Amino acid sequence: MGLPLLSLIVFTPAAGAVFLMFLRSEDVVRWTALGVAVLDLTLCIAMLAGFDTTTHEMQFTERHPWVPSLGITYALGIDGISALFVFLTALLGWICVLASWVAIESKVKEFMVSLLVMQALMLGVFSALDLFLFYVCWEAMLIPMYLIIGVWGGDGRVYAAFKFFLYTLAGSLLFLIGVIVLYFHGGRTFDILALTGQDLPFWIQSWLFFAFLIAFAVKVPMVPVHTWLPDAHVQAPTAGSIILAGVLLKMGAYGFLRFSLPILPEASIYYSTLMLALSALAIVYGGLLALAQDDLKKLVAYSSISHMGFVTLGIFALNLRGLQGGILQMFNHGVTTGALFLFVGLIYERTHTRSIADYGGLMKVAPIYTAFLALFTLSSMALPGTNSFIGELLVLSGGFAANLAAGAAAVVGALLSAAYLLGMYRRVALGPASIGARFKIRDVNAREMAAILPLAVFVLWVGLYPKPFLNIIDVSVKHLLAHVHTTGSGQ
Amino acid sequence: MTAAALFQSALASLPEIVVITGACILLILGQLVRKGQEHVFVWASVAVVLIAALGTLMLASEVRPAYTGMFVADGFAVFFKFVFYLATVLTFFLSRKYADIEGIESSEYYVLLLFALSGMMIMASATDLLSLYVGLELMVLCTYVLTGFLRREPRSNEAALKYVILGAVSTAIFLYGVSLVYGLTGTTQLDGMTAAVTGDRLDPGLLLAVVFIVAGLVFKVGAVPFHMWVPDVYEGAPTTITAFMSVGPKAAGFAAILRVFLNPLVAASDAWVVVAVIAVATMALGSFVALVQDNFKRLLAYSSIAHAGFAIFGVVAGGADGIASVMLYLLIYSLMNLGIFGIVIMMRNGDFSGEIIEEYAGFARSHPGLALLMLLYLFSLAGIPPTAGFFAKFYVLVALVERGFVMLAVIAVLLSAVAAYFYIRIVMVIYMREPRRVFDPALTPLVRATLAFTAVGTLGIGLFPERFLRLAQGAVFGG
Repeated sequence: MGLPLLSLIVFTPAAGAVFLMFLRSEDVVRWTALGVAVLDLTLCIAMLAGFDTTTHEMQFTERHPWVPSLGITYALGIDGISALFVFLTALLGWICVLASWVAIESKVKEFMVSLLVMQALMLGVFSALDLFLFYVCWEAMLIPMYLIIGVWGGDGRVYAAFKFFLYTLAGSLLFLIGVIVLYFHGGRTFDILALTGQDLPFWIQSWLFFAFLIAFAVKVPMVPVHTWLPDAHVQAPTAGSIILAGVLLKMGAYGFLRFSLPILPEASIYYSTLMLALSALAIVYGGLLALAQDDLKKLVAYSSISHMGFVTLGIFALNLRGLQGGILQMFNHGVTTGALFLFVGLIYERTHTRSIADYGGLMKVAPIYTAFLALFTLSSMALPGTNSFIGELLVLSGGFAANLAAGAAAVVGALLSAAYLLGMYRRVALGPASIGARFKIRDVNAREMAAILPLAVFVLWVGLYPKPFLNIIDVSVKHLLAHVHTTGSGQ
Repeated sequence: MTAAALFQSALASLPEIVVITGACILLILGQLVRKGQEHVFVWASVAVVLIAALGTLMLASEVRPAYTGMFVADGFAVFFKFVFYLATVLTFFLSRKYADIEGIESSEYYVLLLFALSGMMIMASATDLLSLYVGLELMVLCTYVLTGFLRREPRSNEAALKYVILGAVSTAIFLYGVSLVYGLTGTTQLDGMTAAVTGDRLDPGLLLAVVFIVAGLVFKVGAVPFHMWVPDVYEGAPTTITAFMSVGPKAAGFAAILRVFLNPLVAASDAWVVVAVIAVATMALGSFVALVQDNFKRLLAYSSIAHAGFAIFGVVAGGADGIASVMLYLLIYSLMNLGIFGIVIMMRNGDFSGEIIEEYAGFARSHPGLALLMLLYLFSLAGIPPTAGFFAKFYVLVALVERGFVMLAVIAVLLSAVAAYFYIRIVMVIYMREPRRVFDPALTPLVRATLAFTAVGTLGIGLFPERFLRLAQGAVFGG
């Protein structure tokens, strides 16, 4: 492979960010950022087109020494699992630019720079094959995200930004110690693939499992370290919420898939019941909290906690359907919840209120908006024909096979999500048109449609024909599962 | 001493001789230069340091013991000397405009800095407790005077007085430890100490001596429980001197600590337990007390205590990687700390002191470029990648885990999460508050050059740490 495609994908937004710094006109900044995002997405599509779905080996790999005295390399590569998320990140990247087009009024240039830097780092996380590189990207994201929430957020933004920063930092630092311990026990290398082949003693695996768990659980977020999420979501600007829900939350789950399962298989199997219990707790508790919300953004934020519970449930079911479902659900959640946050943002730009009680009868004044909102609401509660249905079904069947109680809790969670989502939709879109009297509402315009349509396409595409998506992850998932069960069965 | 040995010794200490001679010449020159021509001092002082640096570089090829084992010019010393040169030259650059604003006109300011530099250089090269003491005293006597340089400011006078009294006590404690060592072993040479101990290495007398020496040295780097002087002295001293003290003398203190601690005698005495306790207490105190500071200089003082604590973790780790990690930490800390101090110094203009954190509100609005630099330094101090500050901490943690001190590593990172809070609080003030006043920073070309240099270093070492890592490792392994 002569062309370093992954490096191009990762560095295009970074180079774009540097370029933006020299621009003056706000409109030029917006168009340039959009251009960079589209270019990056195009590169990702090219990457998917050249992706070989018949092998679990890392593809498009690049390796260059970085800090050879400590065995650190600049190594990139993707398998089926990461390919999906690299694509998702680039897709949401362009939607974020569109979502911020008019919503961000001040310091547009700085905002777009933060957004592009963020995107570069997220792509770096999903394609890193070196733990040190992974950690650098993972942690460096705190800087742009802190600014995005803290500078362009709502009234309580400073508190939310602090909380987000400190929670994530405290979690990640223990992960860092875990990485260093792993480095010394795994033959002084940060190479993820080489570490996967190590047979670590169980006590070290356990220790590392919990060090990693804290970092990943904060990012997912799992109950009880989820409290930063509603604050961050509510205060963040729309693009920030989309990134948080669409990509950042996935990183915790991705961490489980990339590190906990393959490198610590024995511990993963041993503690899977605990993880299932935590997932079930997140599903039900997040659902109950969402049920009690009057703020649109908070509702979607708490529903994220519940939905991410499905993801971790699927992963720690440790069977094929569970894992497939979990990974697919990560993708689906990125698309659907990203879209829901976009919709909350669109309506908020027009009315400047997020309280559900202020709305009602939106269907009369904004029919296109409510029609698409219906699609994404139904997708979020996993109606057949939408993307989440496939994912949730797989998770449920995997979950029941692994643990009856966890499966039952997931069913309760699914019921709860129907309750709060339908309730939300009824109170916002249906009923008498109380909203039109107080606010001038116009329906979605062409620019907004450009952000909504791709997401709608993916909702239906995955819902009706999930095969291409399952194909991408299939071989990698099977390989991962076989690896976990053969090397971890000693326990 | 034969003529040949004397020549060898003079050759090995050539950089020190250059700096001291240069300082003396400047002292005389100071009487001849007319008012308004003070920039001559800056350039002359920089030239002296550059000549010394050139000499150091030329002598760096081999290990040169000198003055019958009291002094050595080895890789370890060369590395530290370059940190000192860096700190001193950047301090000169930052001082020019600041000196005008604060009304510091005398040439002694620059001369004293050069003498302090020579003291630090002697400390880095000392292989005998007595030569170490000479270097130490030369350094601290100059910094006492420099701390009180703003004669009309009561704050500055108070700081100097406090520093002199506490410093004298700590020096006395150190000297008492040295005398105990001499009484017990009959030598003050670091290499000779181990050989001279015939009986029990954990002899209470020796332990006592080690504790006294430790206490004396730990005072200089501002570690708990000898940290009380740091906030007051840092706040009262001219900001340029604060910047200098937070990196130069601190690095010199660590150079001495490393030389003494890595001595087999100390290593055998289980002193690391004491040092580990000091490290944890220092980091905890620095991090927690910094949380409530409103004064930028005091905050940086506590931050510097916390950073000293983190570097001491590297001393605890010991071994080649441990030493290298401390050295790299100090190099990186010098760059990022001089960067952030450069900003504070630059803000001192007209009626604006630049010392109150809240006064920076909305700084990002009016000066986006400078605010971005502050962001870089602050995140680097907090240890967030891809800045150099992260790599510094990372390497210390690697050294700790390598030695099996995983719990200490966990404590270190948790405390650094606490410390991150007050750095990002400043970011919050400059980025997320509305501006309340117009900023008019005293940006001279020299200040710009300093900020650019430290910024490139802070980001450059973070992205490409390999070369610097090799330098630090080479200084340990090769020396």
